[in-house]
Amino acid sequence: MTSTIDEMRIDPEELRDVAVRLLADKVDRRAGWEGRAEPALALEAEVSELGWYQLTAPEGQGGLGQRFDVLAPIYEELGRSLAPVWLSGTMAAIDALQAEGTSAAEEVTAAIVEQSLRIAVVWLEAGQTMANAKLPMVAGAPGATHFLFAGQGATPVLVARESAGLTVTEVSTWDLGRSWGAVDCQGVSEAVIRLETAEAAAVLLAHSELALAWDSVGGAAQCLAETVEYMLGRQQFGRPIASFQALKHRAADHKVAIELARSLAVHASAMFAQRTRDWSALATQSRLLACEAYAAMAEDCVQLFGGVGFTWEYNSHLFLKRALTNQILGGSPDQLRDRVAADVCRQALAAQP
Amino acid sequence: MSDQDAVAQLRTEVRSWLAQNLPQDWRERQTGDDTASFLAMQREWFAKLVEAGYATPHWPSEWHGGGRSLNEQIAMFEELARGGAPRMSLFFVSLYHAAMTLVECGTEAQRARHLPAILKGEIWCQGFSEPGAGSDLAALRTRAERKGDRYIVSGQKIWSTLGHFADQCLLLVRTDSSGPKQAGITFLLMDMKSKGVDVRPIKQITGDEEFAEIFLDEVEIPVENLVGKENEGWKVAQVTLSSERGLTLVELTERMALSLWRLVLAATGGTGDTAMLDTSVARTIVDISARIEAMRAMLATLMANRIAGREAVGDASILKLAYSRLSRDFTALGLRLKGYAAMRDTRYVLGAGYETGNWMFDFLNSYQYNIAGGSNEIQRNIVAERVLNMPREKLG
Repeated sequence: MTSTIDEMRIDPEELRDVAVRLLADKVDRRAGWEGRAEPALALEAEVSELGWYQLTAPEGQGGLGQRFDVLAPIYEELGRSLAPVWLSGTMAAIDALQAEGTSAAEEVTAAIVEQSLRIAVVWLEAGQTMANAKLPMVAGAPGATHFLFAGQGATPVLVARESAGLTVTEVSTWDLGRSWGAVDCQGVSEAVIRLETAEAAAVLLAHSELALAWDSVGGAAQCLAETVEYMLGRQQFGRPIASFQALKHRAADHKVAIELARSLAVHASAMFAQRTRDWSALATQSRLLACEAYAAMAEDCVQLFGGVGFTWEYNSHLFLKRALTNQILGGSPDQLRDRVAADVCRQALAAQP
Repeated sequence: MSDQDAVAQLRTEVRSWLAQNLPQDWRERQTGDDTASFLAMQREWFAKLVEAGYATPHWPSEWHGGGRSLNEQIAMFEELARGGAPRMSLFFVSLYHAAMTLVECGTEAQRARHLPAILKGEIWCQGFSEPGAGSDLAALRTRAERKGDRYIVSGQKIWSTLGHFADQCLLLVRTDSSGPKQAGITFLLMDMKSKGVDVRPIKQITGDEEFAEIFLDEVEIPVENLVGKENEGWKVAQVTLSSERGLTLVELTERMALSLWRLVLAATGGTGDTAMLDTSVARTIVDISARIEAMRAMLATLMANRIAGREAVGDASILKLAYSRLSRDFTALGLRLKGYAAMRDTRYVLGAGYETGNWMFDFLNSYQYNIAGGSNEIQRNIVAERVLNMPREKLG
């Protein structure tokens, strides 16, 4: 008897439980900040071993044929645990290859799964092409075997790391919780594949945005939880500072912002999975709202921790630096708004009674 | 038929009913119109809704239009909002707060007397808040003393929505001051035409009079108008306060979404083309639209949880805080786009809800959502204490 599609669906919440247990065990959130590289590499190996990178590739190409709904909780838990791994470059590329749908694209997906290729997406800036691009800070670049150049309306192009004219250098940034690379192009032209359809480019972007939205929702929620916990233990004037109404109200406002961001992330992810109702603009809007909530929470976390929030020893700055990085990857908030404004405003035409 | 099919069928039905029954020119007719005409329009619209069974989806199934699931009720409010229909302003307290209180806690005689009357247009108001009892509602002091078969009531009520048009009042009074403050409260039904009742509308910052003060001077209320038991009115009041089950916010959010698109069309000469907009305005529209979508998604989750009986403590407070902030920022966008025109144009449509066509009115009116239904400060306390488990402050 053949099993139905539904029977092969992995329950996203079961996967979340697996992620929570693994990350609680394996994430050493201070490692990068104390110059230790091994924990991140060990976690990366563990994640590969567990098969997370194969989750969404079609079964015909060696994957598990799952949908985006299994990735959302993983992205959220990675954010919550401040994990140093960067899945979304490879996963967004796999989604985009599926959207492209050609047999060449299928072969590339099969190769990604079979040879454990790791992909970093390089978001070109205005005026840049593969002939001349210089990107100071690309997520996942140090461990990447391939680079997918995209953005600025260009056709996404997948390039091998050893291609002529491509130089990747690991760099140190203010955010030591993840690894970063500078990417320098001088006349790069050897493509593994070009994704010609507009759909593939849009899927690549939306997946990347939703990954950041979920990382931010998870990070913001954890940051709030740790802030409240600190406030419960910290005594001044003979009582916990968590009992002061002025501080409680700030915590409540962050909770509201985080829950709004989470609601939009849930909605935008569902629309993305079904490719319905303005999914492309919604993904970007979801990332905007989530990054804003995370940045506001993390900034206030530094203050609510009092003096120790200003120290390297406490964790406030881990959240703050990650939140500020999430906010600018692939474009500033205003660039994101400008990118979707036309699509958003056009919805007005369809909505009138 | 599954609930999902029933909802889909209902949506189609409401849409085609609206196409037949919604006066296309109601908005123009109402703009800048006076109170008498607003009341006439409300009564006319309400009668149509009652006839169609769309006023009473939440009533028990023996009533025409009643027995609808909460999912169907949500769909109905959404369709009425999306179709641009007027709100049920004048009759909302009657249909929800009064009717549901009587259905759940009233006597057979009270139901027989008032439910049919409500469908014929009996208007109810709420006499809960007092000048000294707002967020701390249980501190209310309006006194009722039992004398034979009557209560003699004296005191003052405030913030009664449309109280100056009401025929009847859901009244909370103090019958015992000796114990904890919640324990001495009694729930009465009061005829607004009783001797000793003096109602004065409150002129708001919008210039509109949506609320009223009610002064009570030795008003006689028959004992048969008692709801529940004497001194157990606090429990009944909770039923009243939860009677609309989040539908108001569903409706207001839908209307806000529609209103955003109306604003975008107006600002772009009907094209929806961002080339007609200042860059910073276009960016704000992206943010507001994101927050409206987030609000809709959060409401959908809350309503689904409510239906499944697994609503979490504090969910309603989070929604209210999110909505009130959004409402202010949204109407501020309208003000910014309209400039002088917003300041000059003082005509508005009563009962339209974000569709008054007057942005200054809507902006000013948005302040009410920071207070109504429990001030935002109280909501923040609830979120901090009951959701985030931060310590409670000792209150009197």
